This record gives sequence, C-alpha cells and structure tokens, in this order.
Amino acid sequence: MRKSVLGIGVLAVALLPASGALAQVGSAWLHIRVEETEKASKVRVNVPMSVVEAVLKASPGMIEEHGKLKLGEHHQMKLADMRNVWKQLAAAGDAELVSVESEEDNVKVQRKGDVVQILVDSKPAAVKAAAKAEKAPGERAGKRHGTVRVEIPVSLVDALLSGDGEEANIQAAIAELQKRRGDIVRVEDGDSNVHIWIDEQNAPAAPAK
Amino acid sequence: MGKLAIILGVPVAMLATVASMGVVVVDVREGGPAGHHIVVPVPLVLAQAALTVAPVFAPEDKLRVPAGEGLEHVALARDVLEALAAAPDGELVSVEGPNEQVLIVKEGRSLKVRVHAARGEDVSVNVPLQLALEALPDAHGHIRLARLAGALGGVRFTDLVEVKSERESVRVWVW
Repeated sequence: MRKSVLGIGVLAVALLPASGALAQVGSAWLHIRVEETEKASKVRVNVPMSVVEAVLKASPGMIEEHGKLKLGEHHQMKLADMRNVWKQLAAAGDAELVSVESEEDNVKVQRKGDVVQILVDSKPAAVKAAAKAEKAPGERAGKRHGTVRVEIPVSLVDALLSGDGEEANIQAAIAELQKRRGDIVRVEDGDSNVHIWIDEQNAPAAPAK
Repeated sequence: MGKLAIILGVPVAMLATVASMGVVVVDVREGGPAGHHIVVPVPLVLAQAALTVAPVFAPEDKLRVPAGEGLEHVALARDVLEALAAAPDGELVSVEGPNEQVLIVKEGRSLKVRVHAARGEDVSVNVPLQLALEALPDAHGHIRLARLAGALGGVRFTDLVEVKSERESVRVWVW
C-alpha cells in the first residue's frame, strides 16, 4: 500500500518537474500540501515555477533514466508499454482502464472526465499487517483506512506519452502545464492527504521576525 | 588641551572609521540572566581582508571542495539560488508538527528560516542569497574567497543567526 502510494507520488513528482521549463509562467507557483492527521503535521511547500525550471534544466537525469520513468526503487515501467495501452484506451472515453485484485490491494485505474483516477484499496489484513510491521515502541497501531485516491489530468498523460519509443515527451508535458492551472495530483489516504496544484498565487508570506 | 584632544581624537576617529565600514558581532549569552555574556565584534574590513589573503597562506587543497563530495550538485544549487533570487517573495516551506514549526520565506534577496521547537528553542537564520551564491565553489571546486569577502559588504545591517533557548542565546549580526 505504502509502496503504491510512493510509486504514484514519484510518478507525480516526475511529471511535475517538467512544469519547470515554463519560461513564460510569470509568477506561477507549484503548491504541495501534505497533511497527516495521525502525526498532527501539516507541510506546505510553494515553489516558484522558475525554480522548478532550474531544477529540471540542471538535472534532467532525475526524470528520465534510460527511457524509463522510475517509480520508486523497485518499480520500473516501460514507457512504450504505457503508451500502447493509453492509445488503445483513449478512444474509449470514460472507462475502467485497469483493475488489479491481489491479496494486499485492490487497484483500479479509471478515466473519468478529464482526469485519470487511481484508486488503491488495501485489504484489512494487509493494513493490519503493515501497521504491525511499522509499529514503533510506544506507538499505537496504525488506523489507516487503506484507501488512496489519485487524480491526474488526462491532458498531462496525453502530453507525456505523445512521443515515440522509450522516451517520455517532457517538452509536451511542459507545454501542457504551461497552460494548466489547478489540480495536478490529489492523494487521499486514510490518515494523510496530498494535494499538488499550480496557480499564480504565492502563499501569503508570514511576517518574519 | 589641544594635544589631549588629538590623543583622544585619533583612536576615536579610527574606531568610528572601522565601525562605519561594518562590524560582524557575535553575541553569546549563557547560564541565564546571571550567566556569562560574551560579545565579539569583528571589523568587517578585517574579516574581508582575512578572506582575501587566505589563499596566499592556506594550502590550495584546503580551499577546494574535493570531487565527489557534492561538487556535482553545485551547478544545480547555483541555478536554484539564482532562480530564487529572481522569484517573487513568498512562503516557500511551512512545516507544522506537534513538536516543531519550520517556516522558510523568501523576502527580497534573502531566505528567512524560522524554527520554533516546543521545548522552547527558537532558531532564526537569514541567508542573503548573494552571499550564498558567492560561497558556492566553482565548477572545479575552488571556493572564491575574494568574492565572498566582497559579498560580505552587501549584508550589512543583517541579523544572520539567532538561536534562543531558555538559558542560552547566540546572535550573529552584521552592523
């Protein structure tokens, strides 16, 4: 479950630096919000697109390695395979694209309107086992609902997979993000929420001492 | 009377001259109100001179970042700092946890880092972006101390670091 979330998160983050090459984004900002109820923690990150661009330019290897998007340490997905599946399903409109049931998780990928939804539902036994494995001394058992929900804009996936062969079309993804404002990724877990979006507002600067 | 005025006036004038060129002040208090209070003022011009002549006396390898120790990330760091310097002001990072709050704000040409720990510690660091840029080594790992010395002159009237706890405090500022 956690690995799935991590993989999806890495994919999202791999897509996002592409937004960096927004040469004319003006004051566009990339916002990331992470809230963990159980730990009572909130993290807000606001990055000017120009900074994301600098990161992308200086380290393109972070995104692509040998034509593959790396999804965590143990997951690699060939772009050519993803592209073929995507092309075949593009015409289907709203549809369930992938459904995987295993002992640990139920994973569903579906296209709904202009977003691709990825739904991961951990089975109670897997949640319980994971909570037990992660439990630190003195820490209470995890109360995760075991559900992850990610929404990624279809247009962004279209753009990223619009190239040929084993290379992601980062430039097209960049162009798409140049136009895009609003949500990029939403992850809703039982005890944590991640929200990534682009707009043209920086968070109000808190008065520094 | 005239001689006395000259005798007193020369050092005062020298002090005033040095002070007008800037002073780095390190202020340390420890042991609570009845504890020690140490103030070390260092004329900025002295610090700059030391940085400028350091390459003459220090072995070259001591003023160089060896390859493989993060040198490959220097270009990225430089690009990020330059982009940050040109970016609009705003809150960059905010972390609110049960025991600690961290806030990083870009304000003008500085990054302001504030950390508040529940156990009563407050840390405040202001990072002038130009100073940070000049402190980065070049592509070959050389630290350009002369340029760093020059950048110091641009951070006058800046609180660089302030750490406060219940009984201790450290403050470094450039006047």
